[in-house]
Amino acid sequence: MNNHKPIRILLAKIGLDGHDRGVKVLARIFREAGFEVIYTGLWQTSESTMYAAMQEDVDIIGVSLLSAAHMTVVPELAKYRKKLGIESTPILLGGIIPAEDHDAVRKMGVTEIFNPGANTADIVESINNLAKNNTVPPRDTLLDGYANADQAALAKIITQMQAGENLTDWQPPSGHVPAGNATVIGITGAPGVGKSSFIGKLGAELRRRNLKVAVVAVDPSSPITGGALLGDRLRMMTGKPDEGFFIRSVASGEVQGGLGPHCADLVKLLSGFGFDVVFLETVGAGQSDVTIRNAVDHTMLLLMPESGDSIQYSKAGIMEIATHFVLNKCDLDGADKTHAQLLSAVGEDRPIYRTSSVNSEGVPAIADWITSLR
Amino acid sequence: MSAKPTTNDSTPANVDSNPFVGPQDLANFDPEKSLAEPGQYPYTRGIHREMYRKRTWTMRQFAGFGAAEETNKRFKFLLSKGQTGLSTAFDLPTLMGRDSDDPLALGEVGRCGVAVSSLDDMRRLYDGIDLSKVSTSMTINAPAAILLAFYICVAEEQGHTPDQLRGTLQNDILKEFHAQNEYIYPPRPSVKLVIDTIEYGTKHMPMWNTVSISGYHIREAGATAAEELAFTLADGMEYVKLSIERGLNVDDFAPRLSYFFDVHNNFFEEIAKLRAARRIWSNVMKNRFNAKNDRSLICRMHCQTAGVTLTEQQPMNNVVRVAYQALAAVLGGTQSLHTNSMDETLALPTEGSVKLALRTQQVIANETHVTETVDPLGGSYFIEKLTNEMEAKAHAIFDQIDAMGGVLEAIDRGYFRRAIAESALQENKRIESGQQKIVGVTDFVDDEEDHQVDLLKITQKTEDAQVARLKALKTNRDQQQHADALANLKKTAVNDQNVMPALIKAAKADATVGELIETMREVYGSYDGGPEW
Repeated sequence: MNNHKPIRILLAKIGLDGHDRGVKVLARIFREAGFEVIYTGLWQTSESTMYAAMQEDVDIIGVSLLSAAHMTVVPELAKYRKKLGIESTPILLGGIIPAEDHDAVRKMGVTEIFNPGANTADIVESINNLAKNNTVPPRDTLLDGYANADQAALAKIITQMQAGENLTDWQPPSGHVPAGNATVIGITGAPGVGKSSFIGKLGAELRRRNLKVAVVAVDPSSPITGGALLGDRLRMMTGKPDEGFFIRSVASGEVQGGLGPHCADLVKLLSGFGFDVVFLETVGAGQSDVTIRNAVDHTMLLLMPESGDSIQYSKAGIMEIATHFVLNKCDLDGADKTHAQLLSAVGEDRPIYRTSSVNSEGVPAIADWITSLR
Repeated sequence: MSAKPTTNDSTPANVDSNPFVGPQDLANFDPEKSLAEPGQYPYTRGIHREMYRKRTWTMRQFAGFGAAEETNKRFKFLLSKGQTGLSTAFDLPTLMGRDSDDPLALGEVGRCGVAVSSLDDMRRLYDGIDLSKVSTSMTINAPAAILLAFYICVAEEQGHTPDQLRGTLQNDILKEFHAQNEYIYPPRPSVKLVIDTIEYGTKHMPMWNTVSISGYHIREAGATAAEELAFTLADGMEYVKLSIERGLNVDDFAPRLSYFFDVHNNFFEEIAKLRAARRIWSNVMKNRFNAKNDRSLICRMHCQTAGVTLTEQQPMNNVVRVAYQALAAVLGGTQSLHTNSMDETLALPTEGSVKLALRTQQVIANETHVTETVDPLGGSYFIEKLTNEMEAKAHAIFDQIDAMGGVLEAIDRGYFRRAIAESALQENKRIESGQQKIVGVTDFVDDEEDHQVDLLKITQKTEDAQVARLKALKTNRDQQQHADALANLKKTAVNDQNVMPALIKAAKADATVGELIETMREVYGSYDGGPEW
């Protein structure tokens, strides 16, 4: 892992168009090519897309447009890219873009255009070439940015940290060091239990209470190619993008135990930047996700109805280290039964919350607890 | 990543080690039982005894763009050229239940279909068209109940009652979760709305097709032919199951369910798919759901040629692809057909290209003589073997879905989306490795590309005018009546009653699509798409 930095690419669909066959094929091809792919899902705006690109510090921004809205959307993309200080990040456009519009779209700030039928090997090659031109700003510039609450700088420092850059001597200039006393909460639980959506709802609730929230969301890397599909973010981006809600997707790399490289340091970096609450979401591999305990103040385990068996068989491991339990998706059948099983397995010393997958029911109670810690 | 369905081998169906198929491939095949005659159970050979000898299929070209007046003009053009049914395409904001003045609608009003935000828009869309005379198909899903309410109101203003109306609502929300992504609420309340329309239609609109259960979008998103067949029929069974649970008699509503399939390039595989669909459906309806009426057993279908096979390169080649696909649909025994226009990969079709697509169907119907005998391929060793294989593959997929607990549970697990995305990836790899050829793209590529086809342009003026009209409507309506109607809708939804009467009332109070959707969202919640990878 020494200073190896996989190419990071954002794949975004903007507007209401739901045709995602192409973007999903590309996401898989890119993972096979060894890229870290952040897919932000459907119904994004130009603004939310550029916020994601900035926070994720991607090398390439890939935008899929099949709704004939390119002449309206591309200027918006360029506007927010500039506003957020990532003007040098290339935009690649895919979809139905008539040839006669290509020049205009390029002039507005798009680097490459790929129409349906474009060869994926050509797209991968183009990305490899474009990513070579990306440079990291000097260390002092980044440090100044960090000290002055510049999120684009923070995002780039995270990339360096993830790549294994030794940051022990990276101290922001004296007098600028923020408090660094964030409440750090680990979120773990099996795949499909709804960790990311839960964080999205809880984060939005904490924002309403004026707490600044950061999330580190870990997804697994392919052991073969090193590539990764980082899909947690799309479940969290529900509201309007916001400086006070920072999301960073991390690939696990070769790290075992549900976290990615240097996650504990990353959490400290976010705390130092001035966030009030930092969530660390694990891969969700199951019982072995116990290393999280060393990086967080509290560990929240998410379960869903009808997961009784896993409760019975897993009194050790993750059940043991969790400090709080959330029974998510309580709108599904079997919630009461699972709640009873959980209660008999863990006793009454540790809180058990109930939340819904349909609405934000149950979330304010958890936000109350977090607010009480501040 | 979940396991790939074992039945979904990516090898195209008619790649076989043997150069031809013979009687040995149909060893246990009983034509009496598996085929019978056309118009007889299990309807493999067609739903009518006479098929196209008596009446050709309905030629139904999907149309819609810009503001209501522009689509209205296109409708009148198509009717004047001999088209026999109307098919309405709505724009993305409407499909997503958002008004034309919604911030997320920016730049998309009237681009991919017609913008309908209110009863007034619907009134102008069908202006001068007698709704008791035409059959109208509306491609709308998440807000389908709302658009149906608007349509009923427009007909009422023309002096027609709901029982006089003929047409089809696509109204198939399940495939939106699998493929097209135009969902709003979570799966269970979304399906509840579909059952509301089935119930309303069964009681008040005996000639209206309540759901067009659609494989088209599933296939276009990347599914194989067998997956399209199995996923679509599984969705159909889910609607039947839930309608019976609602208290409806299967023979009262099942005759008004219809299907919508894609017709792709693999000529014989597609014909086999359509034949297998009829056989499976009649078996399921008879044996699982105990339907007694013959009309409940037949799988009526609309087909559309495969948009995904059209290429931007050498676009005139698309005319040829569409013609072969259309022929497969006819030989497969479809009841209605949309032929794609050759310029659809580039933009919405122009009037000229739509006419050429319609003419393609008319040539098949009037010049090729393929309509003169029913199911002319029936009994072919090859076709019957393919049909049997399609049926077996579909049953294997049904077993997988049942093992997960049903269609809704499989959606919760992301089963459909993953299977479709994986098949799309495999097809992409076959194309890029040279195993699957595309004329003009992978082979026979022109050095100098000629892209000179005229494209239809939708201007920003359309959007601006539509937004202005909508704002005026929102200002000038009776606000008290409007507020009462929305409150009534919410109460109906909270009480878990059928929302159709409340929607009709609200439509008359000039409530907009976006307002109605948001009112119900307060009760039903939002959906984030479920597991993605």
